[in-house]
Amino acid sequence: MSVAAELANMPGVVAAGEYSYRGDRFTFKGQISDEMARMAAIMCRATTMSEHMQVGMLEQYCPGCGSSPPQGWIVRGPAMTVCNIANVFCFIDNDKSSLNAVVALMRKRLAGASHDLV
Amino acid sequence: MIKQLLAIDGVMAVSRFRDDGAFVEGYGVLPEAELAALAHFAHDYKRIVQGNADQLSMFTGINGWTPPGGWIVRGARMSVCSVANLVCTVDNADGNLSEVMEYLTEASHY
Amino acid sequence: MTDLNKLMVLKGAQAAFLMNDRGELQQHVLADGSPLDETALDLLAHMCVANNAIATMQARGWEANSDNKGFYPINGFTMIGMDWSAITDGNLGVVVSNKDADYEAAYQALAQQGGAG
Repeated sequence: MSVAAELANMPGVVAAGEYSYRGDRFTFKGQISDEMARMAAIMCRATTMSEHMQVGMLEQYCPGCGSSPPQGWIVRGPAMTVCNIANVFCFIDNDKSSLNAVVALMRKRLAGASHDLV
Repeated sequence: MIKQLLAIDGVMAVSRFRDDGAFVEGYGVLPEAELAALAHFAHDYKRIVQGNADQLSMFTGINGWTPPGGWIVRGARMSVCSVANLVCTVDNADGNLSEVMEYLTEASHY
Repeated sequence: MTDLNKLMVLKGAQAAFLMNDRGELQQHVLADGSPLDETALDLLAHMCVANNAIATMQARGWEANSDNKGFYPINGFTMIGMDWSAITDGNLGVVVSNKDADYEAAYQALAQQGGAG
């Protein structure tokens, strides 16, 4: 089972998906339309690219201080949260899900993911 | 060829990078390592601007955002300008950003 | 009144900080032996503010196009680095080691100390 499918089966997960760093494809599971999933993939990819640049800069100032390579990010809204590890994203309902459980699963399943952004 | 860009008023340094981000060449008042860092920064920034343009296009449904033609980051005393795979630093007091962007666009076709 | 020391009781806490809306560091506390320092935290704070602004734009665009609401306004951005995570909520942030990271507890603690929620 793909990571996205596994995540989509967790309580409170609205949708989960995977995108290519090149931006030419994506897959997803969950309760959003194809068009919204495409939008989600574009947004998450943009933030991940941005994070890599920023961590690169932080690493230049603070070599080996534990930031690089970045594993992912979380954006917290009032009712919904977006988690992203490597090139996999997950939209969750704050009241119905466990952020820790979702992030733990993502980090475990994506521990060996490449950081090359290709 | 891109060395000629240093002749433009205000341009202090110029670098060129490959599509994969590798540093190709750089000239100007910065040491080689900083010219390479400038190229690296510009490559990353180019990807971010592409992501922003994609999102603007997606959210507004209006054409004309992509592909982005370049970017400018304006600081208090210095600016960084980039078109395609070229990037340069400009002293705001001496340079004209329109002129710099015009030359960068031209040089990007070399 | 914000008490950064109350954030430092989070498991694995390496640093806690208060920043202004521009990302400039206003107050901070560092755990003994942390590889981070004031300048690194200031950069980190600027990074989180930058990403919060991008996420706010994305939430705005998303909610304008979808019935799936609840993202806007963005309360915080978390950067999960190699060894540690920087979790921010409003103008407050805490850095915790990844092996001990409890994101929910961190968000609760940040909200209690005056974060965005």
